[in-house]
Amino acid sequence: MRTILKILIMLVGVFTYAQTTVSGSITDQNNQPLSGATVIVVGTSSGVAADFDGNYSITVDMDTPFSIEASSVGFKPATVEVSGSSTINIVLQDDSALDEVVVSASRTPQRVFESPVTIERFGTKDIRTTASADFYDGLENLKGVDINVNSFTFKSINTRGFATFANTRFVQLVDGMDNSAPALNFPLGNLLGMTEVDVLDVELVPGTSSALYGANAFNGILLMRSKNPFDHQGISGQYKRGVTVQDAAGTNEFQDIQIRWGHKFSDKLAMKVNFGFLTGTDWIANSEEDKLNRAVFAGVYNKDGINIYGDEVQTNIYGVAQQMVGLGLLPAGAEALVPSTNVSRTGYNETDMAEPDATSKKADWGVYYRPIEGSNLEISYVGKWGTGKTLYQGINRYAIKNFLMTQHKLEVTNDNWFARAYVVEDDAGDSYDMTFAAINVNRRWKPDLNWFAEYVGAIVNGTLGGMTIDQAHVLARQTADTGRWLPGSPEFNANLAEVIQDPDLTTGARFTDNSKFYHLDYNYNFGHMWDWAEVQVGGSARRYSLNSGGTIFTDVDGPIEYQETGFYTQVVKSMMDDRLVVTGAMRYDKSEYFDGQFSPRAVLSYTAGEYKNLNFRVSYQTGFRTPTTQDLFIGLDAGQARLVGSAAGNPERYVRDYAVSTAGQALGIPATVTISGASAYNNAYEASSVQAFAAAGDPSLLRVAEVDYVKPEQMQSMEFGFRGKLSRTFTVDAAVYRNDFQDFINTQVVLSPLYGEVGDGGLSVLAMANQDFETWSSYTNSPAEISSWGISIGMATKIFGNFDLSGSYTKAKLEFEQDLYPDFRTNWNTPEHKFKAQFGNTELFKNFGFNVAWRYWSEYLWQASFGDGMVPETHVIDAQFNLTVPKWKSTIKVGATNLGGDEYFTAFGSGFIGTQYYISWTANNF
Amino acid sequence: MKIKYLLLSVFMLALWSCETDMENPDANYPDPYLEIDSGDADFSTYVSMGGGLAAGWSDGSLFMAGQMNSFPNIMAGVMSMAGGGEFTQPYVSDNVGGILIGGTEFWGERQYFDGAGPSGVSGNITTEATSTIPGPYNNMAFPFVNAIHMVAPGYGNAAGLAQGLANPWYVRAASSGNASILGDALAQQPTFVSVIPGDDFSAWALFGGPTPEVDLTSATGMFTGVGATLQTLGASVPGGVVTNLPDPSNTATFNTVPYNSIPLDQATADMLNGAFLAYNGGLVAAAAFGLITADEAASRTIVWAAGNNPILMQDEYLTDLSALGLPAFRQTTAEDKVNLFAAPFLGQTPDPSNPMGIIGITIPANDFAILSSDEIATLQSQLATANGAIAGLVPSGWALFDLHGLYNEIASTGVYEDEFNMTGDLVFGGFFGLDGYFPTSRGYALVAKRMMEAIDANYGSNLSDAGLDIGDYPTNFPDGI
Repeated sequence: MRTILKILIMLVGVFTYAQTTVSGSITDQNNQPLSGATVIVVGTSSGVAADFDGNYSITVDMDTPFSIEASSVGFKPATVEVSGSSTINIVLQDDSALDEVVVSASRTPQRVFESPVTIERFGTKDIRTTASADFYDGLENLKGVDINVNSFTFKSINTRGFATFANTRFVQLVDGMDNSAPALNFPLGNLLGMTEVDVLDVELVPGTSSALYGANAFNGILLMRSKNPFDHQGISGQYKRGVTVQDAAGTNEFQDIQIRWGHKFSDKLAMKVNFGFLTGTDWIANSEEDKLNRAVFAGVYNKDGINIYGDEVQTNIYGVAQQMVGLGLLPAGAEALVPSTNVSRTGYNETDMAEPDATSKKADWGVYYRPIEGSNLEISYVGKWGTGKTLYQGINRYAIKNFLMTQHKLEVTNDNWFARAYVVEDDAGDSYDMTFAAINVNRRWKPDLNWFAEYVGAIVNGTLGGMTIDQAHVLARQTADTGRWLPGSPEFNANLAEVIQDPDLTTGARFTDNSKFYHLDYNYNFGHMWDWAEVQVGGSARRYSLNSGGTIFTDVDGPIEYQETGFYTQVVKSMMDDRLVVTGAMRYDKSEYFDGQFSPRAVLSYTAGEYKNLNFRVSYQTGFRTPTTQDLFIGLDAGQARLVGSAAGNPERYVRDYAVSTAGQALGIPATVTISGASAYNNAYEASSVQAFAAAGDPSLLRVAEVDYVKPEQMQSMEFGFRGKLSRTFTVDAAVYRNDFQDFINTQVVLSPLYGEVGDGGLSVLAMANQDFETWSSYTNSPAEISSWGISIGMATKIFGNFDLSGSYTKAKLEFEQDLYPDFRTNWNTPEHKFKAQFGNTELFKNFGFNVAWRYWSEYLWQASFGDGMVPETHVIDAQFNLTVPKWKSTIKVGATNLGGDEYFTAFGSGFIGTQYYISWTANNF
Repeated sequence: MKIKYLLLSVFMLALWSCETDMENPDANYPDPYLEIDSGDADFSTYVSMGGGLAAGWSDGSLFMAGQMNSFPNIMAGVMSMAGGGEFTQPYVSDNVGGILIGGTEFWGERQYFDGAGPSGVSGNITTEATSTIPGPYNNMAFPFVNAIHMVAPGYGNAAGLAQGLANPWYVRAASSGNASILGDALAQQPTFVSVIPGDDFSAWALFGGPTPEVDLTSATGMFTGVGATLQTLGASVPGGVVTNLPDPSNTATFNTVPYNSIPLDQATADMLNGAFLAYNGGLVAAAAFGLITADEAASRTIVWAAGNNPILMQDEYLTDLSALGLPAFRQTTAEDKVNLFAAPFLGQTPDPSNPMGIIGITIPANDFAILSSDEIATLQSQLATANGAIAGLVPSGWALFDLHGLYNEIASTGVYEDEFNMTGDLVFGGFFGLDGYFPTSRGYALVAKRMMEAIDANYGSNLSDAGLDIGDYPTNFPDGI
C-alpha cells in the first residue's frame, strides 16, 4: 500500500509543474501603458491585472510551454506562448471595426481605417453575433446597405440607390467568382451563394469600384471569402430551424442544414466540401389591390391585381360590342349600352400559380494544392453547384423552380499574383412566368375573344333587364366565367402543368435558359519589387454565351456569343511617415459592342493625430456599366410590351407578324404585316405623345421617338471621408458623396405603327388611330441629368464596460427633374433616411451573449417594371441571444427577426415579411 | 370616336410611363374630399316645374322607379351635398304606372322590353287620381302639362277631370282644389327652381299636328303660360334654371319606323295600283284644270310596287279636292316621319268584314300616325320661335339650359358620357325610353349632368364635380319590379 503511494507520489512528482514567473508591460500600439489590462493563463482561472504603469507579474505552477492571454477593453486579446520565466512585453492592437483588415478596397490587405474608399467588413464575429436569421441578411445592418426582400430565399443588396431586385449595378464575388446568373446579369442574392459555416469574411464596398473591378461594379461590390482548408479543417456545421409567421402564409417551419468538411492531407494538399440545404415557406404575396391603384375608381371589372395574374388581359368592351354588331351577334345599335371601358379577364392568385415552398440547395468542393513547401504558391480548383426554388420579380413574377447554377474555377495564387479562370452556367430548369401561366391557362379554357363576347352579351342583356352598369358588369363576369377552371380542380392542375412546360409565351409560360459566361482574372502586385510605390496591374476577360432557345433572347438560331476585356493598374504611394497616401488607379474596358472605356480613380488620404487616429480622404472616381445581356439581346413579349434589346443586329432578329385592323385593311394594307424590333428604334412614336394624341385627337401632338442604341452608362463620383478613433472605444466612420450619371441606361416605351413612316402625317397617324401599332420597350440611354448624393455616418463604442453599441445614419438623395423627362423612370428605390443601431454583448455572462439590431427607414417610392408603389416608413427589430458550450465546441443561438410582428415590405409587389423565430446550433465553427 | 378607344388602350401604358404621382385615371370619379359648393346659388329649397320630362315619365308612363330617377330628383341628390334640402315627389302608387280616374283607366301601364320590342307590363294599375295625396311637393312637374296649365287655377280640381280641364296626376297631388301648379310651387318659397316650359310641342307632335288641345301659335297659348310662369318665379325666387324645348321630330318616336314600312309582293301591288287608278286619274284631271300643280299631282299619285312601300296617309296640307270627290291622300315620303305608336296599327284591318280595308294601304293612316313634312316644318319653325322667346324670358341672372341642343346631339352624333356612347336609337341607344321621346333613367341622369354643368357655369357652383355617373342608372325596367 505504501509502495503504491510512494510510486504514485513519485509519478506525480515526475510531472509536478515547475514554478514559472512571467512579467512585463502591457501597452497599446502607441506605447501607452494599459493599466487594468488583465493577463490570464490560458486554460486556467489564474490571472492578474496590470498596475497603473501597465506592468504585470504572474507566477504559475505549470510546466512550460503554456500560453498567457492579455486583454483590455477596446483591444484585441493577444496570446503569447511562454517557454520559461521571462519578461514578456505585450503590445495590444486596437480592436475596432476600423482596425479590421480588408482586401477588396484596393486589392491588397489594409486596415479599414486606411482604405481609400468606404468599405464595410462583416467577419466571423459579426456572423456569430448577428441577430438576423443568416449572415447574408445580417449585411443589412451595415451602414448604407439596403436589402430588398424579393422572397424568403432571394434577397438583393442595394447600395446608394438605383436598384430593383435585378441589381445590375452591383457585383457579388464569391472567392473571386462573379455569381450573377449569365442570363440575368445580376446576383441572385445568396440563393446559390455560400454556406454560412464556410464564410471567412464578407467585405462590402458601397460605391463605385469600376476602377478595379470593371463594369457593373458601379454602385458597389460585395466580396465573400471562404475558408481555406489549409487554415480551417475538420467538420463544422450548423443546424437551424424555426418558424416563419406571416398573415398570408400562416406559421410554417423552416430548417437549414449546413455542413463543412475541410481536410489537410499534407502540407501540400487540402480539400473541402460544403453542403447546405434550406427548406421553408415563402413570404406569400397575395395582394389583390390594383397595380395602378385604380381599384377605387374603376370598380372590380377592370383591375390588374398586384398578385393576381391573367387579369392583365384586358380589352375595351365597346370595341368588342362594335365587332359583335358587325358580325350580327348583337342587335344594331346595341353597342350604345356597352360602356367604352376596359375590362380585364378574371385572373388567378399567385398562390394558385405556384406552391409557396422555398428551397435552396447548394454544394461546393475544392481541392487546394501547394506544390512547393515553404512557398505560398497554391493551385486550386473549386466547383459550386446551387439549385433552388424561389420567386423572382422582374417585369412579371416568376416561379423559379429547379433553377441550377454551376461554377467551376481554376485559380493559381502566390504572394504577389493570382490568376483565375472560371465558368458560370445557369439552367432555368422548370422556371416559369406566373403571369403568362395564368393568361394561358385562361386561354386554354376559353379564348379571349369568346370570353369578352360572352361578357358583352351579358352586359347588353343585363342592361335591357334593368341593371345598372355595375350590376351588369357583375352579371357579365359571372356569365363569362361560367365553367371556369377553379384553382385546384383537376382541369386547372392538368392544364397548368402543361402550360408551364411550354416555352412559347403565346401558349405557355416556361422560360428556357442555359446561358454561360467564361471569365478570366489576373493580377500582379509589384509591391515587393519597388519601394517607391506599390504598383499592381491586372486584367480580366469575359465571354458570354447566351442560350435561351429564342425564349428570352433573340437566339433562336443558336447561342449569342460576345466578349468583354479589361485591364487595370493601381499605384499607391505613401509619404510622410505613411500619413499621406496617394492612390491612383485606372481601368480600361472594351466590350465587343462598344468603344473602350477608361475609368480612373484617384484618392488622397491623410492620417492625422498624434496616434494616427484621424483619417481624412478625398476621392474622385469614375464608373461605368455596360448594358446587360438583356439590355442587348432580349427579345421578349412581356404582355404589356415587347422588350427588344439594342445590340447591333438584335432588333432586326426579333420579327413578328401582326394582324391589321379592318380599318387598316380598308386603307389597302394587307391583313398581316411583318415588322421587326428595329421599328422600335427607327419607326416609333413616344408613348406619352401617343397618349396626348389619343386624348386630344390632334395628330400634331405625336412626337417621333428618337431612340438610340444603348451604350455604356457612366458616372463620376466624388467622395469625402473621415474615420476617427476618438477614444479607445469610440470610432467614427463617415462619408459624403456625390454621383453624377451620364447616359443612364433605361427603357423607353415607344409605339410603332404597323404601316406608314412616323412623321409622314398620314398613314402612320391612321395606323395609330386604328390601334395598328406595337408597343415596344426599347433599351437606350437617357439624356436626363441625374445625380445623387448622400451621407453616411457610422459610430461604434463600448458602454457599461463591454457592451457593444453601434449605429449609423445614411442619407440618400436623388436629384432629377421628373418634369423635364416625364417618361423617364429612375428606379431610385432607396429611402432618404436610414437609421440603424445594434446593441449587444458577446460575453454578458460566461459563454452567454446577446445582440439586438434595430433598423428604420423613411418612406420611399419603389419603381420597377413590375409596378410602382410607396414603401412606408418602417422599423424592424431583430434580436438573438447565444450560449457557447466550449465542451461541445458549439454555439446555440436563439433569435427572432422582425420582433413585434408588424409585417413590412421593401418593394412593391413582393410578399409581406413576417416574423421569423429560429434556434440554431453551430458546431466547430470558430 | 376611334380616338377614345385608343385613349383607353393607351392607358395601359401608364404602367410603363406614369409618374411618381398616380393620376386619377377616371376624371369623373368623385374626389371624396372635394367639397361640393353651391356657388352663388341657394339650393336649400329646390322646386321643379314642367311636364312629363321633369316628372320622370319613362317607357310610356309614370311609375315610381321612373319618378325616382327623374332628373330633378337626381339633381336634388347632388344638391344635397351643397346645402340642398329634402326633395319630395308625388309618387304614384306602383311600378306598373298608368292612372285611374274613379276606377277607370285614364292612362295605361308602362312598357318594357320583352326581348323583341316594347310590351305592356303585367299587373294592375292602382294609382287613383281621386285618392289624393295633397302637396305641395318639390317636384311640381306632371305629365301632359302645357305651359298654360302651370298657371291655371283649378287644374288640380277633380271636378274638372270629366271635362278635361284638370290633370289627374295634379289632381292627386294638388294642395287644394283651386290651387295652381305655380301657386303650389311658390307656396314652398323655393330658393331655386328648374323649369321645363311645358309639354306643348311634344303633345303637338305626338298627336299628329294641329289639335284643339295644343295651339303652338296662339298668344293665349304657350307664350302666355311660359311668360307668366317665368315672370312670377323671377320676381320671388332668387335663382333657377330654365330649359328650352327639344324637337320631338328628332327623337326615336319619329325615327324608328321607316316611312316605307309596307311590304308588298308584285301581285298585291298590281292589284292595288288598279284600285287607285280612279284616284290617280282624278289627280291628272285636277292638274289639267289647274286646280293643283303638276307637282302636287305627282306627289299625290299613288304607286305601289313589289318591296317596301310608303304608307298611304291623309294630309290636311294638300289642296282640298273634295269637290271632285278626291280625298287628300298621298303616300309618305322620306321627309315624313312615322309615329312609333302608329306601327302596331299599320297593316291592320279595322273592319273584319272588309279584308280590303287595310290601314296604311287602302285606309290612310291616322293623322297622329304620321308627322308630315309640312307639320315638321311648322313644328320646327314654331319651336325656333318658342325657344327664342324662352331665352328672352329667362329671369335675369338665371341659367338657361339648352335641352334642345342635347336632344339634337343625341340624334345627330350621339353623346359620349361616362364611357357610354349614347345614341338616339330606340331600346339600344340608351337615351330614349320605350316611348321614344322621354329618356330612360340613364338618359335623365345625362340631362341632370348637363343641366348641372349649366348651373355651375352660371352660379359658380361645382355640382359637376360630385361624380354623378350615368352608368349607375338603368336604361330599362323589366316586367314585375
